[in-house]
Amino acid sequence: MRNVFCCVILLVTVCFLGGCGFKDIDKRFFVVATGIDKTDNEQKPYRITLQLALPSPKIEPGASKAQLETIDASSIAEGVRMLKSHVDKELDFGHCKIFLVGEELARSDYSGMLQWMRRRRDIQSVADIAVAKPDAQALLGVKPVSERYPGNTLFLSFGADGTDSPYTYVQPLSEFSKRAFEKGLDPLLPIIIPDSKESYIINRTALLNKNKIIMVLSPEETQLFAQLAESYPKSSVRGTYEDTQVVAAVSDIRSKYRMTTQGAKTVIAFKVKMSVVLEDAPENLYKQEWASIEKKLSEDYSRQAEELLRKIQQAGVDPFGFGLRYRANHHSNNPNEAYEKWLPIYPGADFKVNAKVNIEGTGLIQ
Amino acid sequence: MNRYFFYNFILVSFINLMLYVPHILMADRYRGAVQSLIIGAVIGTILLYLYTGALARYPGKGLPEILKMHLPKWISNSLISFFTFMWLYATSLAIIAFAIMINRFFNPDVHVSLILAMLVLACGYAATRSSLTVMFVIEIGLIVNAPIILFVLFKAGSNPHLNWDAIRVIANYVTKAPTLASTAAASFIFTGYINMSLFNRLMPPNSRFRHRWIYPLMGFVILLITFFVPIGIHGTETVGNYIYIWSITADSLLMQYGFIERVLFLFLIVYLNLTLVFTMSGWHQAMEFVKSMISNHKPEIDSEKTPLSNYVIVGVFIALTFVYLLLTNEKLNMLISTYWLIFRMFVEILLVIGIFILSRRRPRSA
Repeated sequence: MRNVFCCVILLVTVCFLGGCGFKDIDKRFFVVATGIDKTDNEQKPYRITLQLALPSPKIEPGASKAQLETIDASSIAEGVRMLKSHVDKELDFGHCKIFLVGEELARSDYSGMLQWMRRRRDIQSVADIAVAKPDAQALLGVKPVSERYPGNTLFLSFGADGTDSPYTYVQPLSEFSKRAFEKGLDPLLPIIIPDSKESYIINRTALLNKNKIIMVLSPEETQLFAQLAESYPKSSVRGTYEDTQVVAAVSDIRSKYRMTTQGAKTVIAFKVKMSVVLEDAPENLYKQEWASIEKKLSEDYSRQAEELLRKIQQAGVDPFGFGLRYRANHHSNNPNEAYEKWLPIYPGADFKVNAKVNIEGTGLIQ
Repeated sequence: MNRYFFYNFILVSFINLMLYVPHILMADRYRGAVQSLIIGAVIGTILLYLYTGALARYPGKGLPEILKMHLPKWISNSLISFFTFMWLYATSLAIIAFAIMINRFFNPDVHVSLILAMLVLACGYAATRSSLTVMFVIEIGLIVNAPIILFVLFKAGSNPHLNWDAIRVIANYVTKAPTLASTAAASFIFTGYINMSLFNRLMPPNSRFRHRWIYPLMGFVILLITFFVPIGIHGTETVGNYIYIWSITADSLLMQYGFIERVLFLFLIVYLNLTLVFTMSGWHQAMEFVKSMISNHKPEIDSEKTPLSNYVIVGVFIALTFVYLLLTNEKLNMLISTYWLIFRMFVEILLVIGIFILSRRRPRSA
């Protein structure tokens, strides 16, 4: 009797089981990248482009096939829902790891887009966000020849699996939404540019305030930023020594900063320690004293870093989180008080970078 | 049998995420949550010591037996029916919160009540087993799941996006006076001792609660992680507007070479197991309380045959849980659970002090 009862219960339970939420995997379209642009139409300001993966029997370079669906809509949520009527299968955002924001949208106001992404449960917080130049739709039309499956190129460019470039700044959604609301820490996004019809270049970084792009860092500045803010090791430093160019690969870098008040002035002093191996250097350096070249490299680096910091300061954005550090150091009863005190201090703050380059070797030759 | 106590303590301290404890704490992050953590820990520790001290004088006896020994029947019965309600409520709250979460994250197409039906059938069946079996299920459930939870906590704590400045900003608000809701929420983490009300029946004579200092320590560490890690990952501002703060935190983590990349799914599955175990244990205790009110009831810890009354009582619990689901919604559920946590703290203080006084009036040798 009991066994029969158990069997019946089990059978009834099995009826409710259905993998993939009642829709089979071949009845689904997997969105691998989403692009959001701004249109000129006042009524329908958003242009949504979805890159849908087409399953292919073979995985080999160049075999990736994707379908692009584009729609103009008054809101992103509506547009995506409307797009469902353009395709025959259920849209699934579970594999969408890349969100592209059209440059124009990022230059006007990104907050509506960000809110939609944060609200949707199937958009992962670990998805990467980037600014697409000139616009997301054009960028998604690029078909990289080496791509093995749809969306993989962009994904590999950002992840740590594929290329590890100091010029590519990666910002996942959770980090972006943290910076978009944090008092004293501003967001930044990588910029992707199509290179011909077959590849991308990702080597610039856009600095944003709480609703739009304020300035764009050049590739060199992007690398410098990654070194200063995140102690990014797989990068290089550049300087001149006796009129020849010196380039060194960084093997280890430690960057930290302190904020002190000297009289009426707030001084933000960076200390950057790095070990480098020379890659491009004057000949016969091996027998010389390295101290002088180390000193020269350090000075060059400090100057470049100070220039970058001042440039960012003048733009009025704070991607380093100086404001947050100030809030951490200066307690106030009212959560806004310390931040409001900080706002007038930041433009007048002084930067000092004390770099210490340590040459480990000159590579394989003298 | 110290480990029985250990499991109950750990189970409740992990399950706090399900009862909106982090959400309540985050809402007060500028208004005294930090001090509430400390006060909550102190209250929890004192109650833990008092209650274990008192129960040690009644080896092998549960709360109903202790009350019956000292109080007139009508008082003890009405107290026990009140406690039944308390136990039932906490666990039903957790399982409903989880059903809503599964609906949100896993399967939005299925109605919440169907998900809940699946969950309560499993817990309901498990709850009808004997006390010893239930205890063993808790043991196995924890041994299987706790390492994964520790792994997720470790992943969260070692995340490169963890911002210590944000943590310091909030930690500075330690000067703010604690709030009632936060204190109640914080003290919930230490409340595992209350499950010994029933499971004390399993304690053999001559057993003592040993190494009691370890519990406050562990509870406090879990509390700090629960509160500060999301702040570090999401920043001081953004952290306040997430509803399922720890699910989002888990979603912000990436297991690059894990079986599945999104930590969220691992986290949800583990918490599904824990919630089922927690609900089973709570319903079992409530069921035993109801049974103890029957006049000639003799408590059994490992009965051969499952009495019919078990099924009837748990059947009523399941029905009540459904009624509760139909009457409330997500928002109301969270509000009620805030009030319930406060109410629970006062009930527990009274209960523990009451039992402690009763136990001191009884000679130690008896």
